Amino acid sequence: MSEAAIVVARLSKTYVVPVRGGGLAAALKSLVRRKTRTVEAVREVDFTVAAGEVVGFLGPNGAGKTTTLKMLSGLLYPTSGEARVLGYTPHRRDKAYLRQMTLVMGQRNQLIWDIPVMDSLERNRAIYRMPRETFQRTLAELRELLDIGELLDKPVRNLSLGERMKCELAVALLHRPRVLFLDEPTIGLDVTMQRRIRTFIAEYNRRTGATVLLTSHYMADVEALCRRVIVIHHGRLLFDGELTELVKRFSPHKLIAVELAQDGVDLARYGDVIATDGGRITLRIPKADTARVTSRILSELAVIDLTVEDPPIEEAIAQVFEQAAT
Amino acid sequence: MTAILAAYPTLFRIALATMIQYRVSGLIWMIGSVLEPVIFLVVWSVAARSAGGSVGGMDPHDFAAYYMLVLVVNHLTFSWITEIFQYRIQYGMLSFQLLRPLHPIHQDVADNVAYKLVNLIVIAPALAVCWFLFEPRFPVAWSLPYAVLALPMGFAARFLLDWSVALVAFWTTRVMAVNRIYYAILWFTSGRMAPIALLPGVLRPLAHALPFYYALAFPVELALGRLTPAEVWRGFAMQVLWVGVGALIITTVWRAALRRFTAVGT
Amino acid sequence: MAWLRLFAVFTRIGALNELAYRVNFAVQALESVVAASTVLGAVAVVFSQTDRLGDWQVWELVALIGVYFLVLGMINLVLAPSMAKFMEDVQQGTLDFTLTKPEDAQVLVSVSQVQVWKVIDILVGVGLLAVAIHRLGDTLGVLEASAFVVTLLAGAAIVYSLWIMLATLTFWFIRIENILMVFWNVYIAGRWPVTIYPGWLRLLLTVVVPIAFAVTVPAEAISGRLSALTLLSSVGLAVVMLIVSRWFWRFGLKRYSGASA
Repeated sequence: MSEAAIVVARLSKTYVVPVRGGGLAAALKSLVRRKTRTVEAVREVDFTVAAGEVVGFLGPNGAGKTTTLKMLSGLLYPTSGEARVLGYTPHRRDKAYLRQMTLVMGQRNQLIWDIPVMDSLERNRAIYRMPRETFQRTLAELRELLDIGELLDKPVRNLSLGERMKCELAVALLHRPRVLFLDEPTIGLDVTMQRRIRTFIAEYNRRTGATVLLTSHYMADVEALCRRVIVIHHGRLLFDGELTELVKRFSPHKLIAVELAQDGVDLARYGDVIATDGGRITLRIPKADTARVTSRILSELAVIDLTVEDPPIEEAIAQVFEQAAT
Repeated sequence: MTAILAAYPTLFRIALATMIQYRVSGLIWMIGSVLEPVIFLVVWSVAARSAGGSVGGMDPHDFAAYYMLVLVVNHLTFSWITEIFQYRIQYGMLSFQLLRPLHPIHQDVADNVAYKLVNLIVIAPALAVCWFLFEPRFPVAWSLPYAVLALPMGFAARFLLDWSVALVAFWTTRVMAVNRIYYAILWFTSGRMAPIALLPGVLRPLAHALPFYYALAFPVELALGRLTPAEVWRGFAMQVLWVGVGALIITTVWRAALRRFTAVGT
Repeated sequence: MAWLRLFAVFTRIGALNELAYRVNFAVQALESVVAASTVLGAVAVVFSQTDRLGDWQVWELVALIGVYFLVLGMINLVLAPSMAKFMEDVQQGTLDFTLTKPEDAQVLVSVSQVQVWKVIDILVGVGLLAVAIHRLGDTLGVLEASAFVVTLLAGAAIVYSLWIMLATLTFWFIRIENILMVFWNVYIAGRWPVTIYPGWLRLLLTVVVPIAFAVTVPAEAISGRLSALTLLSSVGLAVVMLIVSRWFWRFGLKRYSGASA
C-alpha cells in the first residue's frame, strides 16, 4: 500500500466579492453603499491521493479546481479544513516542501520572456540549488522527452504556444518534484501538441513515480492519463473514483452502432437515432434495455455489424452535475 | 546563507541578460535621470545669477559640481521597486516567485545592480557633456574616499526602505498614492531638488533625520568636502541605523504580507 | 463635430468605469495635490533664495505651473490613455474592432479612453492660473487672454500631433510602447520657463519635444511677454503638424490594413 502523498480533509475556501449592477445610477449608488456577496469556492472537500497516482480533477469553470490546486501548492490558505502534501502543510511554504513540488498553469509562464529558455533553466537551477551534474542529467532527460533541444537557445517570446508549454514543463520539472500540480496544461494547444504533452506526463509519472494532480477541460487528457477522477462542481466534491466507474454509474445510456445490409431503414422504434452515416446508424437507448434491444435488432433485421458502446464521458459528467443540482 | 549567496552570480547574470534586452527602455528611463539634475543645475545657476552671482555660498560652477555628483550618486543608489511591486502581484509573477524556495528580494537586488551596470554607458558621456558645458568646480576634498565608502550603505538603506514601502501593495491597490507621498518627501529631503543647505529652515533638520539624505546628498557632500569630521561619523552611523530599520521592517512585515496574500490570492 | 460626440460617449463609459472604484476620486485628488505641492514647493525653495529667475518673477512662474498642470491634465484625461489603448490594440490584433466601426479611425483611436478623474489636474491648473492672474493684477487684458487661449489650443494641437505621430509608429515597430515615455521624461522640463535653459536644451524642447509651445508660450501670453512672432510660429506649427500627422496616420493605417489581409 503506497503512502498517501496528498491528504485533504474538509477543505474549504470562502471569498467575499463586491457586487453591483450596470448603468450609471447603480455605479453612483455603489459609491455610497457597498454590497458584497460571499462565494464558497471550495466546500468541505475530502480526498486522499497515494504516491505515484495520476488523478484527474474535473469540473466546469468556477467549480473550485484551481482554488483547490492553489491551496495544495501553498498560494492560498484554506478558510477551514486541512490539507497535507508529502506530510507538509502547504500554506506554511516550507522551503523543503517547495523543493519537492511544482505548479504548472496553462497559458501562464514562469519563463523569462525576452531571453533564451536556457537562462530560465539556469535560474531555476540556482534557486533550487541543484548541483551541476544533477542539472545536466535531468536537463538531458527532459530535453529528450519533450523534444526541446532546438528551443533552448531561443528567446521565449519567439516560441509558439505549444513550444512554450513544453519549455515551461521543462523548467517546472527541472528540480524533479515528487508532486505535480497541473492546472489546464493543454489549454489552447493544438491536438498534436496536446497528445505529446499527455504522453510526456504519463512517461514522467512512469519514470519518476511522481504524484500528479491534473485539472482539464479536455476529456482526452483525462481519459488518456487518469484512472481516477475527482469531479467538483460549485466547490463540492461530487464523485471520486475510477473513470470507468463514473461512466458505468452515471451514464444512463448506451450507444448501439448498427450497420445494415439495407439502406433507409427507420430504426426509430428501437430507440433514439442520433446519427446516420450512410448505412451506419447510431442509436441511443436506456442502459437497462441494452440486451433486449440488441437481440430484437439482431433477430428482426439483416445486420452486417453491431457494436455496443459507452456514450462520451462528457455525458456521464453532465449527469453528475445534473444530479447534484437536484 | 551561503547557499543564497551562491545563487547570486546566476541571478545577476540573468538580470544582466534581461537588462540588455530592455536596453532601449533603459535608455529612455535614463533620459529622465540625466535631465532632472541638469534642469536643476540650470535653474539654480540662473537663480544665482539673478541674485547677484551666488546663493547660499554656491555659484553656477559649484552647482554644476553638485548636480553632476547627484547624477552619479543617484544612479548608483536609487531603486524603483515601489513602482513595480503591485504589478508583480497583479499579474501573477509573485505567485511563481512564492512557489520557488528563494526570497524574491534577491532577484530584485540582482536586477537593480544589473540595470545600473548596463546604463553606466549613459552616465559617462552625460558627465563629459556636463563637464564641457557647465565647467564644474570640484574642490580637493579630504573626505573623497569616505564618499566611496558611503555608497554601498547608502544604496542598502534606500533599497531596503523602498522595499519596505513597496509591501504596501499587499494591503491596497492604491499604491500610487503612497508612492507619490513617499517620493515627494524623498525628493526634497535627499538633496535631489536642492542642496540641503539651501532648503528653508524647517526642512533642513528633517532631511538629516530621514534616511533619504544618507543615500544621496551625504555621499555628494563627502565628495565635495563640505562636512566636518563629526558630521561624517554621524552620517555613517545614521546609514547603519536606517539599514537596520529597513531590514527589520522587511523581516516583520513580509510574514504578515504573505499571510494576507495567501488569504486573498491574486 | 464627430469627435465631440464620440468624446461624450467615451466620457460616459469612462465615468462608468471609474465610478466602480469609489476611492479613485480621492486618490486622484491626493495625487494631484501632492504633485502640485511638490512643483510649487520647488519654486518656493528657489524663491527663498532669490526674487527673480531670469526675468520671471514668482507669480509668473506660478502661472507657468498652472499651464503645466492644465496641459498635463488634458493629456492624461484622454490622449495618453487612448494612445496606450491604441498601441495595445495593434499589438494584440484587436485594432480591427475599431477599424470596422463606421467612424473615422483616427478620431476613434484618439478619444477612446477617458480617465475622468484626471480632470482634477485640469482644475488644479486652472486654479493656479486664477491665483496667479489675480496676483499679477492689471497686466492681463482681453488681448492677453485671447493670446493665451490661442497659444494654449495651438500648443495642445502640437502635443496631440506629436503623440499621434509617435503612436502611428506602432504600425511598423510593434514594441514601441515606451517611446511615449520619452515625452514624459522630457515633460518635466516644462515646469520651468524654457527661456532660462541653455540654447541646445531650448532647441530640444522647442523642436524635438515641443514643450515650449505647449507650456512656456501660453504662460508668456499670460504674463504679457508674448511676442507676435512666437504667437504666429505657434499657430503655424500647430497647423503644419496637424496636417503632417494626419497624412502620416492615413499612410500608416493603409499599410497596416493592407498588411494584415
